[in-house]
Amino acid sequence: MAAAEAKKLSKKRKAAPEEEAPAPQPSAFPQEVGLEMGSEDEGEEGGDESDDGEVEDFPEIDARSDTEDEDADEDEDDESEDEDEVDGEEDESEDESDASDDSLRPWPKPKTVISDITGQPKRVYPEIEPDYDSDSSTEDTPNRVGNIPMHWYDDLPHVGYDINGKKVLRPARGDELDKFLKTVEDPESWTSAFDKNMQMDKPLTAEELDIIRRLQENENPDANYDPYEPTVEWFTGKGKEEVMPLSAAPEPKRRWVPSKWEKQKVIKIVRAIRQGRILPNKPKTASAQPQFYAIWNEEPATGPAPPPAPKPRLPGHAESYNPPEEYLPTPEERAKWEATDPEDREREFLPQKYGALRLVPAYENFIKERFNRQLDLYLAPRVQRVKLQIDPESLIPKLPSPSSLRPFPMYKSLQVPHDEVRVRAISVSPDGAWVVSGDESGVVRLWEVIVGKEVKRWKFKSKVGAVEWCPRTDVSFFVVAVEDHLHFIIPPNLPGPVLTATQNVLAPANLPPPPANPSPVKWNSVPAAQSSSDSPILTLNLPSSPEPPKQLVWHRKGDYVASVSEGQGGVWIHQVSRRHSQAPFKKVKGAVQLVLFHPTKPHFFVATQRYVRMYNLAEQTLLKTLTPGIRWISSMDVHPSGDHLLVGGYDRKLCWFDLELSDKPYKILRYHSRALRSVAFHPTYPLFASSSDDGSIQVFHARVYNDLMTNPLIVPLKILRGHAVRDGLGVFSVRWVPRQPWLVSAGADGQVAVWCS
Amino acid sequence: MGRLKQKGKAGAAKAYMTRSAAVKKLQCSLADFRRLCILKGIFPREPRSRKKANKGSSAPTNFYYAKDIAYLAHEPVLRKLREHKAFAKKLSRALGRGEWSSAKSLEENKPVYRLDHIIKERYPTFVDAVRDIDDALCMIFLFASLPSDSKVSPSLIENCARLAAEWQLYVMHTHSLRKVFLSIKGVYYQAEVFDQTVTWLVPYQFTQTIPSDVDVRVMLTFLELYQTLLGFVFFKLYTDAGLVYPPPLDVKKDEGAAGVGAFNLQEAKAARPTTTAAKSKVVEVDGKRVSSKDVRQTIKSIATSGSGDKDVEMPSVDAEPTNEDDEEFVEDTTEENPEDAPSAPAFTTATLPTLKTLSTLPQSTSAKLFAPYTFWLSRETSRPIFEFIVRSFGGRIGWPATSGSGSPFDESDESITHVIIDRPLVQRANESEAEKERRRRRKYVQPQWVVDCVNAGKILLEDLYAQGKTLPPHLSPFGEHAEAYDPTAGLVGAGEDEEMDEDEEVEGEEDEAEGSEEEAGAARPAKSALKAAASAEDDAALRAAELAAEAAGIDYGTFEKEAKKAQKKAKKAEAPQEDEAEQDMNKMLMSNKQRKLYERMKYGQKKRTEEVSLLRRVPTFACGLTGALCSDKIWSRRSAPSRRRRNGARSRDLPRSVLLFLYCFV
Repeated sequence: MAAAEAKKLSKKRKAAPEEEAPAPQPSAFPQEVGLEMGSEDEGEEGGDESDDGEVEDFPEIDARSDTEDEDADEDEDDESEDEDEVDGEEDESEDESDASDDSLRPWPKPKTVISDITGQPKRVYPEIEPDYDSDSSTEDTPNRVGNIPMHWYDDLPHVGYDINGKKVLRPARGDELDKFLKTVEDPESWTSAFDKNMQMDKPLTAEELDIIRRLQENENPDANYDPYEPTVEWFTGKGKEEVMPLSAAPEPKRRWVPSKWEKQKVIKIVRAIRQGRILPNKPKTASAQPQFYAIWNEEPATGPAPPPAPKPRLPGHAESYNPPEEYLPTPEERAKWEATDPEDREREFLPQKYGALRLVPAYENFIKERFNRQLDLYLAPRVQRVKLQIDPESLIPKLPSPSSLRPFPMYKSLQVPHDEVRVRAISVSPDGAWVVSGDESGVVRLWEVIVGKEVKRWKFKSKVGAVEWCPRTDVSFFVVAVEDHLHFIIPPNLPGPVLTATQNVLAPANLPPPPANPSPVKWNSVPAAQSSSDSPILTLNLPSSPEPPKQLVWHRKGDYVASVSEGQGGVWIHQVSRRHSQAPFKKVKGAVQLVLFHPTKPHFFVATQRYVRMYNLAEQTLLKTLTPGIRWISSMDVHPSGDHLLVGGYDRKLCWFDLELSDKPYKILRYHSRALRSVAFHPTYPLFASSSDDGSIQVFHARVYNDLMTNPLIVPLKILRGHAVRDGLGVFSVRWVPRQPWLVSAGADGQVAVWCS
Repeated sequence: MGRLKQKGKAGAAKAYMTRSAAVKKLQCSLADFRRLCILKGIFPREPRSRKKANKGSSAPTNFYYAKDIAYLAHEPVLRKLREHKAFAKKLSRALGRGEWSSAKSLEENKPVYRLDHIIKERYPTFVDAVRDIDDALCMIFLFASLPSDSKVSPSLIENCARLAAEWQLYVMHTHSLRKVFLSIKGVYYQAEVFDQTVTWLVPYQFTQTIPSDVDVRVMLTFLELYQTLLGFVFFKLYTDAGLVYPPPLDVKKDEGAAGVGAFNLQEAKAARPTTTAAKSKVVEVDGKRVSSKDVRQTIKSIATSGSGDKDVEMPSVDAEPTNEDDEEFVEDTTEENPEDAPSAPAFTTATLPTLKTLSTLPQSTSAKLFAPYTFWLSRETSRPIFEFIVRSFGGRIGWPATSGSGSPFDESDESITHVIIDRPLVQRANESEAEKERRRRRKYVQPQWVVDCVNAGKILLEDLYAQGKTLPPHLSPFGEHAEAYDPTAGLVGAGEDEEMDEDEEVEGEEDEAEGSEEEAGAARPAKSALKAAASAEDDAALRAAELAAEAAGIDYGTFEKEAKKAQKKAKKAEAPQEDEAEQDMNKMLMSNKQRKLYERMKYGQKKRTEEVSLLRRVPTFACGLTGALCSDKIWSRRSAPSRRRRNGARSRDLPRSVLLFLYCFV
């Protein structure tokens, strides 16, 4: 214990000089502090180290450090304490400082005597009585009942017994008034507390008060407790090393005998170093220069080399420092170049001309361009493509020259005006000599093809929807569709037998028996005797519809004529010989645009807005549905052989169907710039024509082969221009002149033109 | 019934990998992945369908071949990079703990990767490597001229400068420089090494600063690869040329800014007698460089040699023995001179060509172009450029001390024949008699003369390039694509002016490949005269054309025949215009795909003709378009349609269908 204490002191002494430097306060009152502390510490140290008198010099330093450690802020208290000392010994501040009050000391005062042995003065302390809790043992409490509940004595006159067995009488206790007076009069009453043992108030000692104060201030109640005690390394500190082993086991041999295995290992390494197998100092990596050697001397790997990156473009004349003048950009070009983004520029530089090489400055984008090239090299996906090395003209299909495919219409031979009224309907007589044309003002004109001489003119009340000449050659008449009527008209100047035959057909003397189920279509004919070419000989009254029938189609035999009107149930087939009309379809899906008779078979084409359906009239069945892929079908015609169908649409497409091949188009052509209005096959020549709202008529050569292997040959022959476009409408209708390669066209500009070869 | 096919288990979904998937698979950082890609030469691929390759997602990503990534996965460099990562951790830990000795030993055992195997993989044969050194040379020359900073270390720049000097030394030693072009970007050089044309661009001598939007790390990674590649290539080139590699550097000279002259080329013969056999074989094959072009050229020249008056063209260099004893490296005269000697008779006397004469022909024509001359560089001309050019063509060159040390002679040397000077003419009043005399004897030319001579392959008249004169335009020796505007074409038709003629001869470079110079010179005016005849409408014009033809040396009979032919051709050219409507009609029967292709091709043609007509400014005869797309390698970016511009002129050297590299940024 003593050794430990000494250690502690020496530690403190070491710490003291360090603390002195930052704390100059003690110098203000060196005497008082020094003195008082000294006395205290001397006492303390002396008490502890009674047998070891050699340690006189530390107490002072120790004390100072103590006070400073303890509470440096109590320096003021020290000062006041000095002043209070003059007044009275009982001041509390003195107790707090616990420096000067000797009465508080639990240990006795030493006596200084001259040592017999050394001859030096020494302090001699009285023997300490080995007693339990010497503090309490010195107290002379008269009551000796011990620690019992004192209420046992509540109704007794005494409170216990003293050491001699005498009763300790209960001290007189005043009433409440006395208590109060006592608190007023006695200055010590507020520092006194009720002593249970003695059943009376006892003043608290200074120590107890100090403990109370400490508890109140949340400090450690022990005044001697030093929270900032320096660490003491009890087992490892200097001089405190463990001397005695923890276990009594003898130290193993391996602790001091050199290892055999280690020796072997070392010898191995030493040998390796000697033999040069281990280089003790490897060459430094930083200074290791890359060694170059003949890397391509051995045989290359068999695989192909990776494809080399494409080389950059070689510079052209424009990049020269002194290019020809024509390469220099004009101010406009320069401005345009500067306005475009760098990545959109045609060239990354502007050509510039310098008079001398010394004037050429540094190129500021040099590093940037190098960097871009590197980005290209490692970031850009490369696609390998075989470059097409063909003449673009070779992509154009090689077709026979139009000049070898003559005859076809090439020029406009004549033009028949219709008073600037749109002409929607034309028809050419089966002998190819006459044309009837009907316009929107209700005028139908009959004229001659070769010279355009008008023979007759009919005036109807409203616009003419369709005109169609009967294909029969033994009779001659045509049908005009106006409002809800179909008028059958016999042209004038017919030869006698033809006229009679016609009259017989249209107004027979004895009418055929009316059909079993009468149709809503009424047939009204004028007797043959009264008939003339001025008025229709036969009129059909169709069910009412806002628009006139838009299409009339004759069967090739000339007995049936089909009419198409707007709306549901607008398709009628009229049989002239039986004077009977019937609607072939109860209900058709979609709005019917056009109908067509097959030239050889009892088939019937019905074009709705998007589809073309092919029916067998004899068997009353649907044969196939053709899907041209056109949004809105405008026109349709069937090849004279009956195997091919042309469908034109308002979306500029023309579809060629090979009916035996597929119900998808064999070829889709899109060459008109506006909507197609009409398509027509020539009945005998391998020609077809299409007209469009762009005012042009295109003539094609269309050769169809009999064998099933060869595809039809379509050759564009001629673009006929000559119709003016009015209100966005061009050529409404084209018809071929049956035995000639001539074309008749009707346009929105009120002109009907004949095109000859 | 076969097994059900699951989506994403086969085909494009397996063959391609996105970049992030690749990084994840390789377990390295993106920066390391980039580095690997650069070093290994792996680049993204464009799948035919991005959706199929990316599991139905059309998000913009880069795709790599999964096999490429698998190939990267066992790359030693990748392992080294991982080791380096671990090393960096250990080192920072040691430094943080203050364990200096362990940090030092760690640093000493730092993992470093070598690129030898990559070079060998990427370039299995030496020719592959030589074919691909263009970019490497450009980078090396660029970095040799950069200032060093925190990112670019001085040792790196020093190494680049050394490599650049080694390359120049080799080119000078073998006289393999072919073309030089002074552009606004820098100087383009083209050399022919091992039958490969190597083109590189050297910036003018100004301090370049690396822009902030340039990623230096990428450039440095490339540079790392290029340094290794060039090291191996130079090693092989030097050893094959019988030289020691690396050439020892004379530090004292280098400090005196001697540039290329600081290196000493040493013959390796004495050092390694064992390699002589191999070397002689190499010389037989490579040293003479029997390129296909040369053979063609030789055959042409033989065919025309009977009629040719080629003495004008032939520089009389070959007959003279070269006096280059005072040059730093001595030519291997035993090799060179015997070759030169028979070459001259081969030209003049059209003897039966042997393989030997064939092989020796081309080099002798222009490789020693400047051999009889001695040049003095004026202070303001760039020494590195002209020293390199002149010495590559066998000339001697000196320079003032301000341009660096190591000049073999000084200004007062009597042997100086040409002074390359680039400053305006100033009359000096107080010129001494000796100076005047010197001035009279020497030719003062502007720098462009040297380059134009090199490109023309002969010594041009110095008068045009005399000091202070306005220079004739400097044209690219690389030529333009086949249909491009030819700035020399108009000059000939315009007049027979001496200057124009001279000019025209200067730029008669494109035809060099087709035939010998004299033939090209004769053929061009004839052609143009005939063209004029074809376009001549009236008699007067025809007459003028006839005169022009006569001046060009065509006799009347041939002229008449040709003129008739040309006129017929011109008429024929008109006839198709009538057919145009017919052609247009036929177009309507094309399929959609064909039409689009056709329109694209037509668009390109139109653009090119517009370009030409814009340059021509003066309307001339309608040029007949061949229509055939010139086969070429094309780089293009999706964002930059301009890159699709074709770059012809070399088309005849390439096979008909060439791989097209089209790449785009995603």
